Amino acid sequence: MMGSGAFLLRLESAWMEIRENFGRSSLQTLGIVLGVASVLGGFSITDSFRKRSETLYVKLGGLDKLNVQPNNIGNNGTPTALQNANLGLRHQDMDDGRGLDSAQVEGVSVQRNARARVRSAFTDQERRVQGINGDYLAIEGYDIAQGRGFSQSDIGSAAAVAVLGSEAFQTFFPSGGGLGAIIRVGDVPVTVVGVLSQRVFRFRDTPGMGNMFHRKNRLIAVPSTLVQQRMQGDNYQRVDRLTFRIPKVDTIETFAKSLTSVLKMNHRLQDDFRLDDVAARERKRRDTGDAYDIIFMLSGVLALLGGGIVNVNIQLASLKERVREVGVKMAIGAAGTEIFKEFMTEALLLTALGSIVGLGVGVAFSWFITHYIGVPLGMELGSFLWAFALAIAFGFLFALVPAWKASRLSPMEALRYE
Amino acid sequence: MSSIIHTRALTKTFGSNGTAVHALRGIDLSVDKGEFVALVGPSGSGKSTLMAIIGCLDAPTSGTYTLDGHEVQGLSGGELARIRNTKVGFIFQSYNLMPKANILRNVELPMLYAGIGRKERRERAMALLEKVGMPEKANVLPGNLSGGQRQRVAIARALANNPALLLADEPTGALDSQTGAEVLALFQELNAAGNTLVLVTHDPSIAALAQRRVELRDGLIAGAVEGAA
Repeated sequence: MMGSGAFLLRLESAWMEIRENFGRSSLQTLGIVLGVASVLGGFSITDSFRKRSETLYVKLGGLDKLNVQPNNIGNNGTPTALQNANLGLRHQDMDDGRGLDSAQVEGVSVQRNARARVRSAFTDQERRVQGINGDYLAIEGYDIAQGRGFSQSDIGSAAAVAVLGSEAFQTFFPSGGGLGAIIRVGDVPVTVVGVLSQRVFRFRDTPGMGNMFHRKNRLIAVPSTLVQQRMQGDNYQRVDRLTFRIPKVDTIETFAKSLTSVLKMNHRLQDDFRLDDVAARERKRRDTGDAYDIIFMLSGVLALLGGGIVNVNIQLASLKERVREVGVKMAIGAAGTEIFKEFMTEALLLTALGSIVGLGVGVAFSWFITHYIGVPLGMELGSFLWAFALAIAFGFLFALVPAWKASRLSPMEALRYE
Repeated sequence: MSSIIHTRALTKTFGSNGTAVHALRGIDLSVDKGEFVALVGPSGSGKSTLMAIIGCLDAPTSGTYTLDGHEVQGLSGGELARIRNTKVGFIFQSYNLMPKANILRNVELPMLYAGIGRKERRERAMALLEKVGMPEKANVLPGNLSGGQRQRVAIARALANNPALLLADEPTGALDSQTGAEVLALFQELNAAGNTLVLVTHDPSIAALAQRRVELRDGLIAGAVEGAA
């Protein structure tokens, strides 16, 4: 049996053969190059979109969230007495949820919305006002540009303070200097204690693509207790949304189950609330991305298939020129298996070289497409490996027939072949 | 002396019943170790077929063939390849060197198929090139050599695995008489050094150099004549 030296020599002669027949070899690799480029190109489009939405989620304050919102029931008929008697989602639900597993829950944000007339010395507008608690800004991914957020005592005492998003600040204080100024929210005069940084996110960086965070910059936030007590007179402290931040994403599901049972008890066994596991939702969306991957892979496979068939034809045609060479090799002692290995080595080397070129072309192709649609190019190592592995698999498969044919030649007939 | 080639009632038939061609019709041939035998005969006499069978390139239809003590009939393709590799050194009329490999690699190739290590391969190939008088051409491609030089390389390649038998098919057929004579002198040298040599030719003057002349006619040995060499 031959050792690794034989493999290297086989590789060397394969390389010589390829170099000597550069035109034919390039033609043979064309299909591989295109196939690999299209697999990689397709993959990197989904990779890039995936990376982009990951960035989006980071900017939104992370995936590790479980939202609870009130659910309107009784839409199809009159609500039952039990449903009417329910108080909806309340502060109590938040406290019970936090108490459920205080080690897992890093924070809970509260949101209570109101519409109100908002007035400053410069502007008077009907606006949405958000009652929030201390954790809200961090959980939703806001950064404070000037001043401060809400303290525990602000919330506890329903302090008349406000934090403005960048757009709201611009609108109500066009000439600046609003920090510490008083605005009226409905009938309540509140002091502006904080201004938030502007938030910008364009999923695709192309002209005409709007800022996805435009509405976030319009935020006018006051303590949730202020909305409940002084604007709405709600003794039950009802809320429009609770968001639990649970850093260990894989525990969200179990937490959601226990939270559901606790809330059901609070809500007289009525389903007047719904849970939204953000991580699970994102996972589901990713699976859709995987479906695209399969489609792209299929189109790449078709290219490789076409290239492979062309390849077989070229190899079979070139085999005719090489019958005599095979005959001589057999005469001096090469067994059929050796001839087979030589042909396979050559085909696989050619495939590997073509794949490398194809990966390069694929990168260029991906760069061009993502640049055109305005998404930063994000490629994953796995896509390179997939494209390469597919090409090698097809190269191997399609090399089998010519190599097998060559190895089955009769030495006598091969030697006499003209 | 022990015999290198020993055949009994060797036949070879091409084609099927209706259109069968009987190329060999019962050859009994023995060649002893160290002999120089010329195989002669007109075209169509079956000498190429006989050479193919002696060289284990082809299998006989019937009869037995023993090469250097190995029963050859009934062996698999892989086993025949191994015998060709280690027992037979072929020399062709058209040299049949690998055009893309340099001279050294050409001579190394049979040793590679025999599984000999890189270092030993290189050393032996260089020694063989020395033996045929071309050590300085190791890195040259066959295309850059004259016919006589190419045939010398082919002889070095044939000797690579110390074969029991050198089988030359019209080795001077493509050479001018001067270089042809030089190549033949090399053959005689090799024979003098103990190599067994079977040379296929239709040139009586070349056949005359052999110790023994075996003439084939219509698939049979016509007459074995003791040579004068």
